[in-house]
Amino acid sequence: MSKAIEYTYFPGCMIPFRLPHFELTMREVLSRLNIELVADEGHSCCPEPTTFTGVDFEAWLTVGARNIAVSESTGRDTMALCSGCFHTLAMVGHTLQSDSKTRERINKRLKRIGMEATGEVTVKNILHVLHEDVGLDKIRKSIVQPLKDISIAAHYGCHLVRPIEATHMDDAEDPMWMEDLIEVTGAKPVDYPDKMACCGAPISPSDEPKSFVLAADKLRKIRDAGADAIVLVCPTCYTQMEMQQKKAIEHLGPEFSLPVLYLGEMMALAMGMSDLVVNNARRYHRVKLQPLLEKMGVGK
Amino acid sequence: MNIDSLNTSRFLRNDFKPRLARCELIAVTPTSISSDLEFRNWILKQPEGETLLRCYQCGRCTSACPIAEIDHSFNPRLFLEKVILADESLAENQLIWTCLTCEQCEVRCPEHVKIPQILILAKVRGLVSGNTPETALDRARSILSQGRTIQVSEPMLKTRDKMGLPSLGNPPVKQLAKALKELGLAEKLENIKSIYGGDGDE
Repeated sequence: MSKAIEYTYFPGCMIPFRLPHFELTMREVLSRLNIELVADEGHSCCPEPTTFTGVDFEAWLTVGARNIAVSESTGRDTMALCSGCFHTLAMVGHTLQSDSKTRERINKRLKRIGMEATGEVTVKNILHVLHEDVGLDKIRKSIVQPLKDISIAAHYGCHLVRPIEATHMDDAEDPMWMEDLIEVTGAKPVDYPDKMACCGAPISPSDEPKSFVLAADKLRKIRDAGADAIVLVCPTCYTQMEMQQKKAIEHLGPEFSLPVLYLGEMMALAMGMSDLVVNNARRYHRVKLQPLLEKMGVGK
Repeated sequence: MNIDSLNTSRFLRNDFKPRLARCELIAVTPTSISSDLEFRNWILKQPEGETLLRCYQCGRCTSACPIAEIDHSFNPRLFLEKVILADESLAENQLIWTCLTCEQCEVRCPEHVKIPQILILAKVRGLVSGNTPETALDRARSILSQGRTIQVSEPMLKTRDKMGLPSLGNPPVKQLAKALKELGLAEKLENIKSIYGGDGDE
């Protein structure tokens, strides 16, 4: 096999330490596609875009720009698995590039630590890498266990997609890259009303009941559309829609449950690496995966 | 007649400051308006802050907002009106922290006003009065002291090891502190008491 294509991996906080099965499954999936993720110990928290921005926006820009500078020093494209990290890096990079006054102000601070950020580094999310860089044809060839007879709904979440001028995604209101990936695995993508609706997680620190109303509404719409499972990318959406699913749904009753897969888990299942998913299912999934896995013909 | 051909946005943008201010003053509660333009001017100077001036109060933001749909007191159009009128009371309103930052308003805004960004700036102004959820303060303190939003524990590192995932090292917090020094954030965070309750410690 030819030499692996390398990306600078921006790990963030949530995925590597709270939800490491995200990193595990996606690293293995990417490895099958001849891609290697290289971490740089110079990176810190992105910082997260939902609360730190509202504490000190200048500090958010500065820490984000320092991370961009670290990325730029690696000479590779940077890929963040987490949607929050991706959003911050894409936004700060976009600001540095398009706003020269801000770039100069921030770089004065970075100069004190001997760094400089231009914003010219390419920051990608996992959909850019899989859909655009690798391409559907190559992924299709690596599918050995098609997820036949399974209907899956894509939840994109907000920060992966918006604002489009910084994220360079396909569409702000109706993105389709994840549906394309669902189709490639052999499953059937399910459309549902208000696909781009927020999971509610960002306001959980200030108004948890409201955040659950939004999550429950979203889960209900997906269930009513006939999906067997949800697939998503963002660890914060995962926490809200998977780990907190029961609590959220109790708000609107009557109860039901809907399995949630991380994108890397769905792809690992279709690529014949079901052990990676099965072995971590109990630890990282509160909604039982067993019925879904049986329907897929896994673990028989 | 084609409405678009009127180019209403440009007409309002050129002309709206005195006019809109006058007519809206009648529509809002006058007692809540500060005479001080400092808040408004500060917003206008921030990144993307000047997009505020493109707002002609059409209300598409509010009709697009998922929070406004479940809580009628949350009204992005009204928030923008307050900033336009230099009403700093917005910074002390707890409602601004129920903005999801989902950007649905911005996607639908015909003038691409950076509405979530303007609310973020209002949140920043609210820090001194404690209008910041405890969780937000905790995360900020953790970012400054650890370089991460969460405390990384031994079991977390062991799990990574067992999974065969590489070590990620420790973020250079001293470097972070040096770059951020002039902002005085660490000092601010020591003294802020959140009005949202909580004991301030994790």
